[in-house]
Amino acid sequence: MIQFSKINKHYGSNHVLKDVDLNIREGEVVVIIGPSGSGKSTLLRCINRLESITSGELNVHGKKVNDKHTNINQLRQEIGMVFQHFNLYPHKSVLDNITLAPIKVRGMSKAQADELAMYYLEKVGIKEKAHVYPSNLSGGQQQRVAIARGLAMKPKIMLFDEPTSALDPEMVGEVLDVMKALTKEGMTMVVVTHEMGFAREVADRVIFMDQGQIVEEGAPAHFFTNPSEDRARLFLSRILVH
Amino acid sequence: MLDFSILIDHKKEFLAGFLTTLEVSLLALVLSVILGIVLAVMKISPLKMLKGLATAYIEFIQNTPLLIQIFFFYFGLPAVGIQLNPFISGTIGLAVYSSAYIAEAIRAGIQAVSHGQVEAGRASGLTYLQTMQHIILPQAIKVVIPPLGNQFLNLVMGSAILGSISGKDLMYYGDIIASDTFVVFDVYIFVALFYLILTVPLSLFIHHLERKLSASD
Repeated sequence: MIQFSKINKHYGSNHVLKDVDLNIREGEVVVIIGPSGSGKSTLLRCINRLESITSGELNVHGKKVNDKHTNINQLRQEIGMVFQHFNLYPHKSVLDNITLAPIKVRGMSKAQADELAMYYLEKVGIKEKAHVYPSNLSGGQQQRVAIARGLAMKPKIMLFDEPTSALDPEMVGEVLDVMKALTKEGMTMVVVTHEMGFAREVADRVIFMDQGQIVEEGAPAHFFTNPSEDRARLFLSRILVH
Repeated sequence: MLDFSILIDHKKEFLAGFLTTLEVSLLALVLSVILGIVLAVMKISPLKMLKGLATAYIEFIQNTPLLIQIFFFYFGLPAVGIQLNPFISGTIGLAVYSSAYIAEAIRAGIQAVSHGQVEAGRASGLTYLQTMQHIILPQAIKVVIPPLGNQFLNLVMGSAILGSISGKDLMYYGDIIASDTFVVFDVYIFVALFYLILTVPLSLFIHHLERKLSASD
Protein backbone atom coordinates (compact mmCIF):
# COMPACT_ATOMS: atom_id res chain seq x y z
CA MET A 1 0.00 0.00 0.00
CA ILE A 2 2.79 2.40 0.96
CA GLN A 3 6.34 1.62 -0.11
CA PHE A 4 9.40 3.67 0.72
CA SER A 5 12.56 2.56 -0.99
CA LYS A 6 15.85 4.28 -0.33
CA ILE A 7 14.16 7.56 0.56
CA ASN A 8 16.42 10.50 1.30
CA LYS A 9 15.36 13.97 2.26
CA HIS A 10 17.54 17.01 2.74
CA TYR A 11 16.62 20.44 4.10
CA GLY A 12 19.61 22.37 2.82
CA SER A 13 22.59 20.75 4.50
CA ASN A 14 20.36 18.95 6.99
CA HIS A 15 19.94 15.26 6.10
CA VAL A 16 16.51 14.48 7.59
CA LEU A 17 15.73 11.06 6.13
CA LYS A 18 18.52 8.62 5.40
CA ASP A 19 17.92 5.70 3.05
CA VAL A 20 14.56 4.83 4.52
CA ASP A 21 12.98 1.55 3.43
CA LEU A 22 9.51 0.78 4.66
CA ASN A 23 6.51 -1.19 3.46
CA ILE A 24 3.08 -0.70 4.90
CA ARG A 25 0.39 -3.20 4.00
CA GLU A 26 -3.29 -2.57 3.51
CA GLY A 27 -5.15 -2.56 6.81
CA GLU A 28 -2.00 -2.28 8.83
CA VAL A 29 -1.68 0.07 11.80
CA VAL A 30 1.85 1.40 12.00
CA VAL A 31 2.97 3.62 14.86
CA ILE A 32 6.12 5.66 14.41
CA ILE A 33 7.92 6.77 17.55
CA GLY A 34 11.24 8.39 18.29
CA PRO A 35 12.83 11.50 19.77
CA SER A 36 11.94 14.90 18.35
CA GLY A 37 13.94 15.76 15.27
CA SER A 38 14.26 12.10 14.35
CA GLY A 39 12.40 12.63 11.07
CA LYS A 40 9.20 10.80 11.96
CA SER A 41 6.83 13.62 11.04
CA THR A 42 8.77 14.28 7.85
CA LEU A 43 8.48 10.62 6.91
CA LEU A 44 4.72 10.76 7.45
CA ARG A 45 4.33 13.98 5.47
CA CYS A 46 6.15 12.52 2.49
CA ILE A 47 3.31 10.04 2.02
CA ASN A 48 0.90 12.73 0.77
CA ARG A 49 3.68 14.94 -0.55
CA LEU A 50 3.36 17.71 1.99
CA GLU A 51 7.12 17.18 1.93
CA SER A 52 9.00 16.32 -1.22
CA ILE A 53 11.75 13.74 -1.20
CA THR A 54 15.27 14.34 -2.44
CA SER A 55 15.93 10.84 -3.75
CA GLY A 56 14.51 7.34 -3.71
CA GLU A 57 11.12 6.06 -4.72
CA LEU A 58 7.87 6.33 -2.82
CA ASN A 59 4.79 4.47 -4.00
CA VAL A 60 1.33 4.87 -2.57
CA HIS A 61 -1.43 2.76 -4.07
CA GLY A 62 0.98 1.76 -6.81
CA LYS A 63 1.44 5.40 -7.83
CA LYS A 64 4.76 7.19 -7.64
CA VAL A 65 4.12 10.08 -5.26
CA ASN A 66 6.87 12.27 -6.64
CA ASP A 67 6.31 11.60 -10.32
CA LYS A 68 5.33 14.60 -12.41
CA HIS A 69 2.60 12.57 -14.10
CA THR A 70 0.94 11.58 -10.85
CA ASN A 71 -2.16 13.63 -10.16
CA ILE A 72 -1.35 14.51 -6.58
CA ASN A 73 -4.79 15.93 -5.84
CA GLN A 74 -6.36 12.64 -6.86
CA LEU A 75 -3.93 10.67 -4.74
CA ARG A 76 -4.54 12.91 -1.74
CA GLN A 77 -8.28 12.20 -1.89
CA GLU A 78 -7.42 8.67 -0.78
CA ILE A 79 -5.21 9.80 2.09
CA GLY A 80 -6.81 11.47 5.10
CA MET A 81 -4.61 13.49 7.40
CA VAL A 82 -4.94 14.62 11.00
CA PHE A 83 -2.54 17.30 12.24
CA GLN A 84 -1.07 18.08 15.63
CA HIS A 85 -2.75 21.49 15.68
CA PHE A 86 -6.05 20.24 14.20
CA ASN A 87 -5.99 22.87 11.42
CA LEU A 88 -9.75 23.22 11.33
CA TYR A 89 -10.98 26.10 9.18
CA PRO A 90 -11.88 28.78 11.76
CA HIS A 91 -14.26 30.64 9.44
CA LYS A 92 -16.41 27.58 8.78
CA SER A 93 -18.81 25.70 11.03
CA VAL A 94 -17.98 22.14 12.04
CA LEU A 95 -20.35 20.83 9.40
CA ASP A 96 -18.84 23.00 6.66
CA ASN A 97 -15.33 21.98 7.71
CA ILE A 98 -16.27 18.39 6.99
CA THR A 99 -18.30 18.91 3.82
CA LEU A 100 -15.90 21.24 1.98
CA ALA A 101 -13.73 18.56 0.36
CA PRO A 102 -16.55 16.08 -0.35
CA ILE A 103 -18.44 18.85 -2.16
CA LYS A 104 -15.52 20.50 -3.98
CA VAL A 105 -13.35 17.47 -4.64
CA ARG A 106 -15.81 14.58 -4.85
CA GLY A 107 -18.55 16.68 -6.39
CA MET A 108 -21.17 15.68 -3.85
CA SER A 109 -24.36 17.66 -3.41
CA LYS A 110 -24.67 19.74 -0.26
CA ALA A 111 -27.44 17.49 1.08
CA GLN A 112 -25.45 14.31 0.50
CA ALA A 113 -22.35 15.80 2.05
CA ASP A 114 -24.29 17.05 5.09
CA GLU A 115 -25.68 13.59 5.66
CA LEU A 116 -22.22 12.08 5.36
CA ALA A 117 -20.78 14.66 7.76
CA MET A 118 -23.49 13.93 10.33
CA TYR A 119 -22.74 10.23 10.07
CA TYR A 120 -19.06 10.77 10.87
CA LEU A 121 -19.78 13.36 13.56
CA GLU A 122 -21.96 10.80 15.28
CA LYS A 123 -19.16 8.32 14.94
CA VAL A 124 -16.69 10.60 16.72
CA GLY A 125 -19.36 11.45 19.28
CA ILE A 126 -20.07 15.14 18.69
CA LYS A 127 -23.10 15.28 16.45
CA GLU A 128 -24.60 18.03 18.59
CA LYS A 129 -21.73 20.39 17.68
CA ALA A 130 -22.38 20.34 13.92
CA HIS A 131 -23.35 24.01 13.69
CA VAL A 132 -20.77 25.38 16.10
CA TYR A 133 -17.54 27.12 15.04
CA PRO A 134 -14.20 25.47 15.90
CA SER A 135 -13.21 28.23 18.33
CA ASN A 136 -16.11 27.17 20.57
CA LEU A 137 -14.84 23.61 20.89
CA SER A 138 -12.30 22.11 23.27
CA GLY A 139 -9.05 20.78 21.81
CA GLY A 140 -10.24 17.20 22.06
CA GLN A 141 -13.49 18.04 20.28
CA GLN A 142 -11.60 19.91 17.57
CA GLN A 143 -9.35 16.96 16.95
CA ARG A 144 -12.34 14.63 16.74
CA VAL A 145 -13.88 16.93 14.15
CA ALA A 146 -10.58 16.84 12.26
CA ILE A 147 -10.72 13.05 12.27
CA ALA A 148 -14.31 13.13 11.00
CA ARG A 149 -13.20 15.58 8.31
CA GLY A 150 -10.50 13.17 7.18
CA LEU A 151 -12.84 10.18 7.22
CA ALA A 152 -15.58 11.94 5.25
CA MET A 153 -13.43 11.64 2.12
CA LYS A 154 -13.58 7.87 2.64
CA PRO A 155 -9.81 7.55 2.32
CA LYS A 156 -7.92 4.27 2.06
CA ILE A 157 -5.19 5.54 4.37
CA MET A 158 -5.28 7.80 7.43
CA LEU A 159 -2.19 9.67 8.55
CA PHE A 160 -1.95 11.03 12.11
CA ASP A 161 0.81 13.53 12.87
CA GLU A 162 1.11 13.69 16.67
CA PRO A 163 -2.68 13.99 17.03
CA THR A 164 -2.66 14.29 20.82
CA SER A 165 0.48 16.35 21.43
CA ALA A 166 -1.32 19.69 21.53
CA LEU A 167 -4.10 18.48 23.82
CA ASP A 168 -4.66 18.98 27.51
CA PRO A 169 -3.99 15.65 29.24
CA GLU A 170 -7.63 15.00 30.11
CA MET A 171 -8.61 15.19 26.45
CA VAL A 172 -6.08 12.74 25.09
CA GLY A 173 -8.27 9.77 25.95
CA GLU A 174 -11.29 10.80 23.89
CA VAL A 175 -9.16 11.23 20.77
CA LEU A 176 -7.30 7.97 21.26
CA ASP A 177 -10.63 6.19 21.75
CA VAL A 178 -11.82 7.39 18.35
CA MET A 179 -8.56 6.25 16.78
CA LYS A 180 -8.74 2.87 18.46
CA ALA A 181 -12.24 2.36 17.12
CA LEU A 182 -10.93 3.14 13.67
CA THR A 183 -8.25 0.47 13.84
CA LYS A 184 -10.95 -2.12 14.40
CA GLU A 185 -12.54 -1.22 11.07
CA GLY A 186 -9.50 -2.22 9.11
CA MET A 187 -8.35 1.28 8.16
CA THR A 188 -4.72 1.54 7.08
CA MET A 189 -3.21 3.93 9.62
CA VAL A 190 0.17 5.54 10.04
CA VAL A 191 0.46 7.30 13.37
CA VAL A 192 3.28 9.46 14.67
CA THR A 193 2.80 9.72 18.41
CA HIS A 194 4.33 9.76 21.85
CA GLU A 195 1.44 7.75 23.29
CA MET A 196 3.18 4.49 24.12
CA GLY A 197 0.04 2.97 25.61
CA PHE A 198 -1.75 3.46 22.32
CA ALA A 199 1.15 1.99 20.36
CA ARG A 200 1.29 -1.04 22.61
CA GLU A 201 -2.44 -1.64 22.46
CA VAL A 202 -3.35 -1.18 18.80
CA ALA A 203 -0.25 -1.09 16.62
CA ASP A 204 0.46 -3.99 14.32
CA ARG A 205 3.98 -2.70 14.05
CA VAL A 206 6.04 -0.11 15.86
CA ILE A 207 8.75 1.80 14.02
CA PHE A 208 11.44 3.48 16.04
CA MET A 209 13.30 6.29 14.31
CA ASP A 210 16.38 8.20 15.32
CA GLN A 211 18.45 10.71 13.33
CA GLY A 212 16.56 10.12 10.10
CA GLN A 213 16.84 6.35 10.15
CA ILE A 214 14.58 3.49 11.07
CA VAL A 215 16.54 1.99 13.92
CA GLU A 216 14.20 -0.77 14.92
CA GLU A 217 10.80 -2.10 13.95
CA GLY A 218 8.65 -4.91 15.19
CA ALA A 219 5.48 -6.01 16.87
CA PRO A 220 4.73 -3.92 19.96
CA ALA A 221 4.91 -6.90 22.31
CA HIS A 222 8.47 -7.49 21.26
CA PHE A 223 9.49 -3.85 20.86
CA PHE A 224 8.32 -2.65 24.25
CA THR A 225 9.55 -5.60 26.28
CA ASN A 226 12.74 -6.54 24.57
CA PRO A 227 14.09 -4.06 22.04
CA SER A 228 17.26 -5.23 20.35
CA GLU A 229 18.81 -1.82 19.70
CA ASP A 230 20.51 0.21 22.41
CA ARG A 231 19.11 3.47 21.14
CA ALA A 232 15.57 2.12 21.30
CA ARG A 233 16.19 0.77 24.79
CA LEU A 234 17.53 4.14 25.94
CA PHE A 235 14.58 5.99 24.44
CA LEU A 236 12.08 3.65 26.07
CA SER A 237 13.79 3.83 29.46
CA ARG A 238 13.59 7.62 29.32
CA ILE A 239 9.92 7.86 28.46
CA LEU A 240 8.58 4.87 30.34
CA VAL A 241 9.97 5.79 33.74
CA HIS A 242 7.62 8.69 34.28
CA MET B 1 -16.53 83.90 3.42
CA LEU B 2 -16.77 81.43 0.57
CA ASP B 3 -18.46 82.61 -2.60
CA PHE B 4 -21.34 80.15 -2.90
CA SER B 5 -22.64 81.81 -6.06
CA ILE B 6 -19.77 80.09 -7.91
CA LEU B 7 -21.09 76.78 -6.71
CA ILE B 8 -24.61 77.59 -7.89
CA ASP B 9 -23.55 79.10 -11.22
CA HIS B 10 -21.40 76.09 -12.05
CA LYS B 11 -23.45 73.40 -10.39
CA LYS B 12 -23.70 71.47 -13.65
CA GLU B 13 -19.93 71.24 -14.06
CA PHE B 14 -19.32 70.43 -10.41
CA LEU B 15 -21.95 67.70 -10.54
CA ALA B 16 -20.66 66.25 -13.83
CA GLY B 17 -17.13 66.23 -12.46
CA PHE B 18 -18.27 64.67 -9.22
CA LEU B 19 -20.09 61.88 -11.05
CA THR B 20 -17.10 61.17 -13.29
CA THR B 21 -14.79 61.01 -10.29
CA LEU B 22 -17.23 58.65 -8.58
CA GLU B 23 -17.51 56.41 -11.65
CA VAL B 24 -13.78 56.29 -12.32
CA SER B 25 -13.07 55.55 -8.67
CA LEU B 26 -15.62 52.75 -8.45
CA LEU B 27 -14.56 51.13 -11.71
CA ALA B 28 -10.86 51.40 -10.92
CA LEU B 29 -11.51 50.07 -7.45
CA VAL B 30 -13.25 46.93 -8.70
CA LEU B 31 -10.64 46.36 -11.40
CA SER B 32 -7.72 46.91 -9.05
CA VAL B 33 -9.10 44.48 -6.47
CA ILE B 34 -9.53 41.75 -9.10
CA LEU B 35 -6.09 42.44 -10.52
CA GLY B 36 -4.63 42.70 -7.00
CA ILE B 37 -5.99 39.28 -5.98
CA VAL B 38 -4.60 37.66 -9.13
CA LEU B 39 -1.19 39.29 -8.57
CA ALA B 40 -1.10 38.36 -4.89
CA VAL B 41 -1.90 34.72 -5.64
CA MET B 42 0.76 34.74 -8.38
CA LYS B 43 3.31 36.27 -6.06
CA ILE B 44 3.00 33.52 -3.46
CA SER B 45 2.58 30.77 -6.04
CA PRO B 46 5.12 27.96 -5.96
CA LEU B 47 5.69 28.49 -9.72
CA LYS B 48 8.79 30.67 -10.13
CA MET B 49 7.57 32.03 -13.47
CA LEU B 50 4.32 33.44 -12.07
CA LYS B 51 6.08 34.72 -8.99
CA GLY B 52 8.70 36.51 -11.08
CA LEU B 53 6.12 38.12 -13.33
CA ALA B 54 4.08 39.41 -10.40
CA THR B 55 7.15 40.70 -8.60
CA ALA B 56 8.38 42.55 -11.70
CA TYR B 57 4.96 44.11 -12.26
CA ILE B 58 4.55 45.20 -8.65
CA GLU B 59 8.08 46.63 -8.39
CA PHE B 60 7.76 48.50 -11.68
CA ILE B 61 4.42 50.04 -10.77
CA GLN B 62 5.35 50.93 -7.20
CA ASN B 63 8.55 52.62 -8.29
CA THR B 64 7.28 54.82 -11.12
CA PRO B 65 5.00 57.87 -10.82
CA LEU B 66 1.26 57.47 -11.33
CA LEU B 67 1.34 60.42 -13.72
CA ILE B 68 3.69 58.59 -16.09
CA GLN B 69 1.52 55.49 -15.99
CA ILE B 70 -1.58 57.48 -16.88
CA PHE B 71 0.28 59.32 -19.66
CA PHE B 72 1.45 55.96 -20.98
CA PHE B 73 -2.14 54.76 -21.41
CA TYR B 74 -3.41 58.08 -22.80
CA PHE B 75 -0.53 59.45 -24.86
CA GLY B 76 1.66 56.37 -25.23
CA LEU B 77 -0.69 53.69 -26.50
CA PRO B 78 -1.90 55.65 -29.59
CA ALA B 79 1.68 55.23 -30.89
CA VAL B 80 1.01 51.52 -31.21
CA GLY B 81 -2.46 52.10 -32.63
CA ILE B 82 -4.50 51.81 -29.44
CA GLN B 83 -6.67 54.89 -28.97
CA LEU B 84 -8.28 55.20 -25.51
CA ASN B 85 -10.41 58.09 -24.33
CA PRO B 86 -9.38 59.94 -21.13
CA PHE B 87 -12.01 58.17 -19.06
CA ILE B 88 -10.82 54.70 -20.05
CA SER B 89 -7.10 55.46 -19.90
CA GLY B 90 -7.57 57.14 -16.52
CA THR B 91 -9.54 54.21 -15.12
CA ILE B 92 -7.05 51.64 -16.39
CA GLY B 93 -4.09 53.69 -15.24
CA LEU B 94 -5.52 54.08 -11.74
CA ALA B 95 -6.46 50.40 -11.56
CA VAL B 96 -3.02 49.29 -12.66
CA TYR B 97 -1.35 51.63 -10.18
CA SER B 98 -3.57 50.65 -7.23
CA SER B 99 -3.46 46.94 -8.03
CA ALA B 100 0.24 46.77 -7.17
CA TYR B 101 -0.37 48.16 -3.67
CA ILE B 102 -3.52 46.11 -3.20
CA ALA B 103 -1.63 42.97 -4.26
CA GLU B 104 0.98 43.61 -1.58
CA ALA B 105 -1.71 44.18 1.07
CA ILE B 106 -3.50 40.97 0.07
CA ARG B 107 -0.25 39.01 -0.06
CA ALA B 108 0.57 40.10 3.50
CA GLY B 109 -2.95 39.04 4.54
CA ILE B 110 -2.61 35.64 2.90
CA GLN B 111 0.74 35.06 4.54
CA ALA B 112 -0.73 35.96 7.91
CA VAL B 113 -3.00 32.90 7.66
CA SER B 114 -1.33 29.90 9.28
CA HIS B 115 0.42 27.56 6.88
CA GLY B 116 -1.42 24.65 8.49
CA GLN B 117 -4.57 25.89 6.77
CA VAL B 118 -3.04 25.45 3.34
CA GLU B 119 -1.78 22.01 4.33
CA ALA B 120 -5.19 20.92 5.61
CA GLY B 121 -6.82 22.05 2.38
CA ARG B 122 -4.26 20.54 0.05
CA ALA B 123 -4.11 17.28 2.05
CA SER B 124 -7.85 16.84 1.52
CA GLY B 125 -7.38 16.93 -2.25
CA LEU B 126 -8.35 20.53 -2.94
CA THR B 127 -6.33 22.23 -5.66
CA TYR B 128 -4.16 25.26 -4.92
CA LEU B 129 -6.79 27.62 -6.29
CA GLN B 130 -9.65 25.94 -4.42
CA THR B 131 -7.63 26.17 -1.21
CA MET B 132 -7.10 29.87 -1.85
CA GLN B 133 -10.72 30.53 -2.67
CA HIS B 134 -12.43 28.57 0.09
CA ILE B 135 -9.90 28.57 2.91
CA ILE B 136 -7.21 31.20 2.70
CA LEU B 137 -8.78 34.30 1.13
CA PRO B 138 -11.86 34.33 3.42
CA GLN B 139 -9.48 34.36 6.41
CA ALA B 140 -7.05 36.83 4.88
CA ILE B 141 -9.84 39.39 4.37
CA LYS B 142 -9.81 40.38 8.05
CA VAL B 143 -6.15 41.25 7.99
CA VAL B 144 -6.43 42.95 4.63
CA ILE B 145 -9.36 45.29 5.29
CA PRO B 146 -7.45 48.14 7.02
CA PRO B 147 -4.61 48.49 4.47
CA LEU B 148 -7.08 47.91 1.65
CA GLY B 149 -9.22 50.74 2.98
CA ASN B 150 -6.25 53.08 2.84
CA GLN B 151 -5.61 52.05 -0.75
CA PHE B 152 -9.24 52.77 -1.65
CA LEU B 153 -8.93 56.27 -0.18
CA ASN B 154 -5.68 56.83 -2.05
CA LEU B 155 -7.35 55.70 -5.24
CA VAL B 156 -10.24 58.15 -4.90
CA MET B 157 -7.85 61.02 -4.24
CA GLY B 158 -5.44 59.83 -6.92
CA SER B 159 -8.24 60.01 -9.46
CA ALA B 160 -7.67 63.80 -9.48
CA ILE B 161 -4.88 63.01 -11.89
CA LEU B 162 -7.54 62.61 -14.59
CA GLY B 163 -7.62 66.42 -14.64
CA SER B 164 -4.26 66.32 -16.39
CA ILE B 165 -5.59 64.30 -19.34
CA SER B 166 -8.88 66.21 -19.72
CA GLY B 167 -10.71 63.46 -17.89
CA LYS B 168 -13.79 65.62 -17.18
CA ASP B 169 -13.55 64.74 -13.49
CA LEU B 170 -13.83 67.04 -10.46
CA MET B 171 -10.27 68.29 -10.78
CA TYR B 172 -10.67 69.01 -14.48
CA TYR B 173 -13.80 71.11 -13.99
CA GLY B 174 -12.27 72.74 -10.93
CA ASP B 175 -9.33 73.92 -13.04
CA ILE B 176 -11.65 75.25 -15.75
CA ILE B 177 -13.96 77.06 -13.36
CA ALA B 178 -11.02 78.53 -11.48
CA SER B 179 -9.40 79.90 -14.62
CA ASP B 180 -12.74 81.21 -15.96
CA THR B 181 -13.74 83.02 -12.77
CA PHE B 182 -10.36 83.73 -11.13
CA VAL B 183 -11.99 82.76 -7.79
CA VAL B 184 -9.25 80.23 -7.34
CA PHE B 185 -9.30 79.86 -3.57
CA ASP B 186 -13.04 79.21 -3.25
CA VAL B 187 -13.23 76.89 -6.23
CA TYR B 188 -10.55 74.53 -4.95
CA ILE B 189 -12.14 74.53 -1.51
CA PHE B 190 -15.39 73.42 -3.12
CA VAL B 191 -13.55 70.78 -5.13
CA ALA B 192 -11.94 69.50 -1.94
CA LEU B 193 -15.36 69.36 -0.23
CA PHE B 194 -16.68 67.21 -3.07
CA TYR B 195 -13.79 64.80 -2.57
CA LEU B 196 -14.68 64.69 1.13
CA ILE B 197 -18.22 63.64 0.20
CA LEU B 198 -16.62 60.52 -1.27
CA THR B 199 -13.82 59.85 1.18
CA VAL B 200 -15.50 60.46 4.53
CA PRO B 201 -18.30 57.89 4.07
CA LEU B 202 -15.79 55.44 2.58
CA SER B 203 -13.53 55.88 5.57
CA LEU B 204 -16.45 55.44 8.00
CA PHE B 205 -17.57 52.32 6.16
CA ILE B 206 -14.11 50.79 6.42
CA HIS B 207 -13.96 51.46 10.16
CA HIS B 208 -17.38 49.89 10.52
CA LEU B 209 -16.23 46.82 8.59
CA GLU B 210 -13.08 46.51 10.68
CA ARG B 211 -15.11 46.57 13.88
CA LYS B 212 -17.59 44.03 12.55
CA LEU B 213 -14.90 41.63 11.38
CA SER B 214 -12.89 41.81 14.57
CA ALA B 215 -16.06 41.18 16.59
CA SER B 216 -16.57 37.87 14.81
CA ASP B 217 -13.28 36.44 16.13
